[in-house]
Order: sequence, then C-alpha cells, then structure tokens
Amino acid sequence: MWLLHLAWRNIWRNKWRTWITVSALSFAVLLSVLAESLKEGIFDNLIKNVVGFHTGMIQVHQMGYQEAQQLDNSFRVNDTLQAKLLSHPNVSACSFRLESFVLACAGDKSKGCMLSGIVPNEEDKVTRLSEKLIAGHFLQSGDNGILIGQGLAKKLDLRIEDTLVLIGQGYHGAMAAGHYPVRGILRFGIAEMNDHFVYLNLPVAQELLDAEERATAGILLLKNDDDFILTRKQLSAHLGNSYEVMTWEELLPEMSQHIKTDSGDMRIVQWILYFLIGFGILSTLIMMMLERKYETGMLLALGMPKYKLMLVLVCESLLTVITGCVIGILLSIPVIARLHLQPLRVSGDFAKAYERFGFEPVFPASNHLHIFYTQGLFVLVLGILLSLYPLIRIMRTQPLEALKK
Amino acid sequence: MKFLILFFASLTLCSNGQTATEILEKSEQKMRGNTLQAEMILQIIRPGWMREMSIKTWMKGRDLAVILVTSPAREKGITFLKRQKEVWNWIPALEKTIKLPPSMMSQSWMGTDFTNDDLVKESSIVREYTHRIIGDTLIDGRSCHLLELLPLPETAVVWGKIITAIDKKDYMEMMARFYDEEGALMNSMYGYDVKMMDGRWIPTRYEMIPADKKGQKTVLHYESILFDRHLEDRFFSIDHIRKIAY
Repeated sequence: MWLLHLAWRNIWRNKWRTWITVSALSFAVLLSVLAESLKEGIFDNLIKNVVGFHTGMIQVHQMGYQEAQQLDNSFRVNDTLQAKLLSHPNVSACSFRLESFVLACAGDKSKGCMLSGIVPNEEDKVTRLSEKLIAGHFLQSGDNGILIGQGLAKKLDLRIEDTLVLIGQGYHGAMAAGHYPVRGILRFGIAEMNDHFVYLNLPVAQELLDAEERATAGILLLKNDDDFILTRKQLSAHLGNSYEVMTWEELLPEMSQHIKTDSGDMRIVQWILYFLIGFGILSTLIMMMLERKYETGMLLALGMPKYKLMLVLVCESLLTVITGCVIGILLSIPVIARLHLQPLRVSGDFAKAYERFGFEPVFPASNHLHIFYTQGLFVLVLGILLSLYPLIRIMRTQPLEALKK
Repeated sequence: MKFLILFFASLTLCSNGQTATEILEKSEQKMRGNTLQAEMILQIIRPGWMREMSIKTWMKGRDLAVILVTSPAREKGITFLKRQKEVWNWIPALEKTIKLPPSMMSQSWMGTDFTNDDLVKESSIVREYTHRIIGDTLIDGRSCHLLELLPLPETAVVWGKIITAIDKKDYMEMMARFYDEEGALMNSMYGYDVKMMDGRWIPTRYEMIPADKKGQKTVLHYESILFDRHLEDRFFSIDHIRKIAY
C-alpha cells in the first residue's frame, strides 16, 4: 500500500512531467479514435451510397437466381413470404422487383436495357429513386408509364410523354412486347445505370413479361445496417431452401473487394500513426528516466530492493496511462459527436468526383461505441508496453554509476 | 492421263452416280418444294416446364418465308417475315414491324432452341458449304447417306461443321448434327414419324436438342403440309404480314 502511496506522491512531485505524459497519451487516443472513426464512417458511407443505388443491403431471390439471372428463376410473391420477411425485427421494408433485359426502341433507334418492375413507394424507401428524378413525374401506383435513365433518353431522343417500346422475352420464353409513355427521366451517378435502366410499375412489368405475381428479387431495408450478416443468417434459416438470401457483399463482390483493399491501405496509415504515437510516449519516458537517474540511484544505494522500485514505477505508469486514456476518450467524444452530426465537407475536384458518382461529398465520422474502447484499449496496451522501458532501465542501474553527477 | 485421274477422283465422290451436292439439292427440293405451306405445333421442353405454340408457315424457294403464330392467345398474330438474310417481325401488340437487329440474330427464336439466325441461315446450307459423302448409316431401318458439310472459306457462317443423314430412297433429312468451330457438338436434330403428307413421305416430327443443356429440347410436329401451291411474291412483303393474321 505504501508503494501506491509513494507512486501517487511521485506523480505529483513533478506535475509538469506528468501532465506532459498524460497529454501525450490522451492526444494519442484522440488521434487514433479520430482516424478509426473517420475510416469507418467513410467506408460505411461509401457502402450506404453504393448499396443504396440499386442493390440494397440484403436481397432475397429464388434459389439459384444469382447464378443464372433470368426470369425463369423468379419466385411467386405471396403473403406468407412477405409476412415472413417483414416479421424479422431488423427488416423495416421490403421492395419486390421483377428484372429482365429487354430491347428498348423509339423511332428507328433501339438499345438493350435493364427493366425493373417496381413498387414505387417501397422502392423509394430502399433506393430513394424519386430523388433521382430530373424531369416529369415519379411513378404512381397503377400508372402504366415508364421512368427512364437520362442517358437512355438522350440516346433514343425521348422526352416526357413520348412512347417507348419494349421488346424481349418473358417468363418461360413468352414473347414480351409493349409500349409505354415516358413519365419521368432519372439521373443516376453511375453511367451504367443512366444509360440502361428503365422502371415500370411491378404489375405492368409482370404483364409485359407474362410473369403474373412474380418477382426476381426482394430488396430489404434494414433498421440497423450493421447487423446485416446476422439478419441474413436468420432470414436464410427462416425462409428455407427454396430462397437464397444474399448480402450486398455477395451481390457486389468487386465493390466489397475494393472496399476491403482500401480499408487495408488505411490500416497501414493507421499503423504509421500508432508508431508515431508510440515514439511520442517513449520520448517522455526516456526524459523521465533521465531526470530521475540520480533519484533512482539514491534509492537503490539506500537499500531499496530493485523489485520494489520497479513496482512503484509500474504503479506510476498504470496511473498515468489509464488517466491519459480516459481523458483521451472523454476528449474525443465531443469531437466525434460534432463530426458525426456535421460531417467534414470536401470541396474542389474531389467533391466533383464524388458528386459525379451521385455521392454526397462528405466525410462523416462513425460514432460506433466499439471505436472508443478498442482505440483506448490499444493505446493503453501500447502505453503499458512502453513503460517496460523504465523497468529495464532500473534493472540495469548501478547505484554508484547513477549517483555520479 | 490427267483426265483419268480427275475421272477417278470424281468417282470416289459419287454414290450411285450422285454427288453430295445433288443429294442435298434433291432433299431440299423434296422437303420444301417450290413452295410450302404448313401448320405445326412447337413444343418447348425445359426441365420443370413445357410450352406449346401453334404456327403456320409459308415458304417460297430458299429466300422467302412467313411464320405466323396462331396460339397461345398472348402471342397470337405475331408474324415473322424472312427475306433473303433479313428477318422482320410484326408485333400486333405494338402495331409495329421491327427488323431484327444483328445483335438479336443469335438469340433464341420465341423461346425455342432455334435461334433467329436458324430462320435465315437454312437457305445458305447448299450455297455456303462444301458437301462430301462420308458414308452410309441406318436410321429407323432406313438406309441413309451420311454427308459432311464444311463452310466455304471466307463465308461468315455459324457452324464449323454439319453432319447430316439423308434417306437414300425418299431423300428425307433424318438427322443433322451441328458443330462449332472447335468441333464441339452444339445441336442435334432428329426426324421421326415418317408419314405421307400431300403425296410425299416426310418425317412429321423433328426434335432439336442442344448438346450442352440437359433436359432441354424443342419438338416440331407437322399438322398439315401443302407442297407446290401457287404463292405470289407479294405474299412475302412487309405490308402483307400485317394483314395475314386477320
């Protein structure tokens, strides 16, 4: 107990030194929390953006659809399925889609495109489709009009209320042909979607493709996106073998790979940061041991056993490191909160590149709880590891040498 | 001397004094006549489901053909017109005639195992391939010539090789196998149920079986057939196909 008392008194003997160490540690925590939180925030935002274009966090298909994406692998939309999906606590909405490739013709021009039959208000919840509208009206339920991408409208020279002809192959090889007035024009951030996507009301698309009451995919809107893997697992078990439940990572493997690579790059930057932080803390410790060389030599010369002196130093380090980490976490809370609520806005070319893809040009910070404690803990371990240095120094101290001035 | 070699060379190419090309032309004349009108039922058989279509077709020579879908109700009235190498499609639902773009030629025709290209390229088999007799075979107790067809150089054709069996007595096409450029079997076609139709013996059922798709085939039944009735060229016009269905 007296050791702890001694340690406490030692800490406050040189307030400046202690505060410098504590602030180095809290700054380290603040920095690493900030880095991690921005990293997670930016990638979460990227995923949300990419997934929100069209894919959704989780999709439900007829088993085998992902392998062979054709109408013959569609499923019947029924109340039981819908009830099963919506009864999951993490599912807040489900939008059914019937998708197929068709040929779009207007005048004597034609172009292959991707037709999605949608339930407009459900689809809007998942992909905010109505926000992409730049001319005309969004689809109302019961409307037999069509929404088309801006690029396609340009290529086929179509304006609002012009007629677009769709030709293709329906369910079980039936012939699909129909003509639809253009209700609205959509602008997507992704050229692929801009040039190829057309949307009909689900019942209209079902009639065109001779696929009554069928859909190729159910896109789920989750209450909490972070739990998507668990949700998928539970849904998969609940729905049984005739359906496949897939996460965005399985639906967009390239995108998921890309994010993982980028995330790996960020990890390297983070390790460099830890390295710098480590040296910062180490330098305060070296300074401390230099200052206290005479003191330690004196104590040893007076007959204090080395291990007791080491214990005192361990207590000192623990107290400063823990204080530093706690202060660091406390400091980072308002900073992260602010960055979470009012994200950093990027500007200039970077912002333009972002906007071109239809992203909001912001760097939001993630406020996940685990960031605070993992980063705090990491710096804590780092600090404790580094405080082995004073112990090693003491082990090597020769009282006589140390007492020489 | 040279003449003699040529003579023997040509002898080996002949069978009963007939060249492969003659056999093919005879068979074509037999199976198609100058003009042909037929009613058929097409069955599309897939693992798990099956679909039936009734069609009427009119053909004149190698270059002109019209196909009209008469059932199911959804597709009734859809008409295809083939003129030389072009295919036009009248779609009543759109009240429009569409020329099939080159990109659609290799796609399935009406969901069958025939491609749009199959409608067109049939005419080129005699013209764009070299023909050689490679032997005899027995199909359903009928003795047949076995012919090998190889594409002429510099012709853009779909198949790398076709093996076909033609009945020796009645010149019926009993079997055809279609290979790609690498020599892999792509499609097989077999004729069954030989019957007398409008005074000619012909197989009234053909099955088209893609090699790489299990449990999948298209079956074509001839319901009625009329040979060599008079058909005007005007019948095979874009304007006319709009009216055929009515």
